[in-house]
Amino acid sequence: MADLGAISLWIALALAGYAAIGSVVGKTRDSAVLVESSRNAIYLLVLVLLVATLSLVVSFINRDFEVAYVAAHSDLAMPDRFTWVAFYAGNEGSLLFISFCLAIMSALAIWLAPVKVRDTLPYTAGALMLVMAFFLAVTSIMANPFDKLPFTPLDGDGINPLLTHFGMFVHPPALMAGLIATSIPFAFAMGSLVGGKTADEWVDTGRVWGIISWALLAVGLLLGSWWAYTILGWGGFWFWDPVENAAFMPWLGLTAFVHSIMVQKRRGMFRMWNVVLINVAFGLALYGMFMNRGGSVPSVHSFGSSSLGWVFLLFLGIGILVPFIIFFWRYPLLKSAQNLDSMLSREAAFLVNNLLLLAIAGVTLWGTVYPLISKLFTGVELTVARPFYDQVNGPLMLALIFLMGVGPLLPWRRATPASVRRALMPPGIAAAATVLILLAFGLRHEYALIAFGLAAAVSAGIFVEWYRGAGSRQRSSGENYPLAFLRLIAANRPRYGGYIVHLSIVMVALGVVGTTFFNTQRDVVLAPGERVEVADYEIRYLGTTEIPKGNRTDFISSVEVYRDGKLLETIEPNRSFYPSFNMASTRAAIRSTPVEDLFVVPSENLEDGSVGFRILVNPLIWWMWVAGPVLVLGTVVSLWPQRVRVTAPVKTPSRVPSGPRPSAA
Amino acid sequence: MTLFAGTLLLGTLVLIFALASHGGNLFAQGQAYSEKEAQSIDKSLMCPVCPAETIDQAQVEISRQMKAVVREMLSQGSSREEVLDFFVARYGQEVLAAPPKSGVNLLVWILPIVGILAALAGGYLIIKSMASRSTGQVAVAVPAGDAVDVGLEPYLEAVDRHLALIDGGDTAGAFSASNTDRGGVDKLREQQTNREED
Repeated sequence: MADLGAISLWIALALAGYAAIGSVVGKTRDSAVLVESSRNAIYLLVLVLLVATLSLVVSFINRDFEVAYVAAHSDLAMPDRFTWVAFYAGNEGSLLFISFCLAIMSALAIWLAPVKVRDTLPYTAGALMLVMAFFLAVTSIMANPFDKLPFTPLDGDGINPLLTHFGMFVHPPALMAGLIATSIPFAFAMGSLVGGKTADEWVDTGRVWGIISWALLAVGLLLGSWWAYTILGWGGFWFWDPVENAAFMPWLGLTAFVHSIMVQKRRGMFRMWNVVLINVAFGLALYGMFMNRGGSVPSVHSFGSSSLGWVFLLFLGIGILVPFIIFFWRYPLLKSAQNLDSMLSREAAFLVNNLLLLAIAGVTLWGTVYPLISKLFTGVELTVARPFYDQVNGPLMLALIFLMGVGPLLPWRRATPASVRRALMPPGIAAAATVLILLAFGLRHEYALIAFGLAAAVSAGIFVEWYRGAGSRQRSSGENYPLAFLRLIAANRPRYGGYIVHLSIVMVALGVVGTTFFNTQRDVVLAPGERVEVADYEIRYLGTTEIPKGNRTDFISSVEVYRDGKLLETIEPNRSFYPSFNMASTRAAIRSTPVEDLFVVPSENLEDGSVGFRILVNPLIWWMWVAGPVLVLGTVVSLWPQRVRVTAPVKTPSRVPSGPRPSAA
Repeated sequence: MTLFAGTLLLGTLVLIFALASHGGNLFAQGQAYSEKEAQSIDKSLMCPVCPAETIDQAQVEISRQMKAVVREMLSQGSSREEVLDFFVARYGQEVLAAPPKSGVNLLVWILPIVGILAALAGGYLIIKSMASRSTGQVAVAVPAGDAVDVGLEPYLEAVDRHLALIDGGDTAGAFSASNTDRGGVDKLREQQTNREED
């Protein structure tokens, strides 16, 4: 099977190279046949990579330890369902996974491309296949998952125990797919530029794929946080680790992009800016893959350190430089159809939102590279970690939440001060009421007060809008409220999907603020029968059962949780020791409610049966995990296909006598 | 409005409930030093042998020892700075989770703030110039345009007022197409509603 896989990889590389060159040459020489055959090569590529992927899967299922990758990432004791995780446990498999994802998405994007972009599609295909060829070349030449060992070991090294968690079934693939998906909107932008279009043609397609990529990254990041929370044993979910940052920055870039592209869709503005944004997002995604797969910075994600660094660095350089050269070459085409009318408009709010998002990404990048700079220029090794990002990015994120509340309530083009006052009244009242009530209850933390006030404002703005919309629909059509509400959402999916996503962001903010400012932490060593009080809870440790398993020993502790003298429940945090990795993995017991989580994790098991526990009470973190499904729902709503009512912005100069306020939408 | 008020009330209650149960406990562990302070120091010190983890996170022997040292020094009356200095002397600058806000390293803190302010100022100037260009251009290219617009202003305001009366405010996306009999004002209203969607 491994040989079949290896051969498929080489065929795939040849197909990608052919499709890249064929598309572009076919287009420039006006050879429809060549363009057509290149497109078919892309479809065929999906099948060939499917064969490669399946051969690696079969090698895992058969535990074919002659294949070095299989021997390094699985063993006989591994249950078959972990094949999915083992597949991308190292560089080689991850690269194959990324290539396969890119092949599927490229084929889909090309197959589903609307008529508007057909003309420049060969260039888009060319760009995609260049990226594809890079990944396939690295996979087949430098990190081939089908390389064989000179001998066949009796058993493999086994799967990294940290990966045997439900979150790991989704977190890495979602992030890898999200990172590589950035190539699709990027390729459409590039195709349209190279083809010499005015650059509005790619907007719809770019937006859809931008949102898909954005949502994949968001889900990946949230699941990664959840994984860290339940398994890493320190009770946090985000540490501004270099690799976390590397996935976070492209997400920020895409967030800016999916907002700003709406301005181009509706108003024909920000054309250059959108190309710049998608270039930046693509560059950051490449950087993300470089950090993750090149392994150049110390990080908890350093699973497979490798020599791929310099190749990725080179590709990163090309991937950032070339698009900007194309951008400057086609610069004259990108003049906006319309200009900004007023500082007080949704367009202006979008622009400020973009700046803030890029600022957060910039700060994050700065923090990541500063240690290298310091080492280079002053020779002093130092660390830039969480305290830095918390202090600098924290206020920026609050400002962003503020804009999230204000922006959607501003009208396009121009708002009058009176209409702004009217629109901002409900959120303002909600914020003021929240802050006053919290103050009355003795909350004195400025940051938290601001954050909760803003969260209330954003939610109030959204709910009032829903309520008014549904109300006016109900009056005009006689639908009952729930139906009117659903029809309202269905009538304008991008807008209302966006609101749902905004709500999910508010939920994440609640979780972050709750745990950052109001958590209680205790580290204690308890002998069987001993009790400890943490916040409102009383914890009683009963004892630990030791269960030897094939590749590990499980230590399952029983812990009773009391509140107000009443037994709430008995929980079982556990800890497993893997001798072959000399490594322990913990599974926290979490009693989760919307108000707060009680989190108990054993950090060490002592000889005499006593256990070192870390006990945390984390307020509001429940909201953060619930935000995930809400975010996905919002994304699905905003992407759900809708009968197109208006396709392109009106291109007439504004304020001609044809109408009082020519509508651009 | 009742729906909104109810949601607000519910949300606030949840928050209050969450926070009220915590406010009193922050400094409950009353020893000679504050455990909260010790934990905050734990979070400012990197574990020297683990990749990118603080001693608060890392579960290796050395981080346990360092945590014990932190508490011992605090209980002997050392300040936060003295504890941090002690570890910097032993392990070098990189043991700090973030560079100190002094000397050359002030750069790492100040540069982003300067950059952000510059970007916001630049953004402001761009928006302003775009906004003024848009009105200026029109004035030159279509001299009559402004006059028409100015003449319409009272009418548009009347439509706005009318809308406010009907719907009690912005009705973005709410307009239904079922109404077949439309007067001129209704048509305008639809236009405005469409514009405000998205």
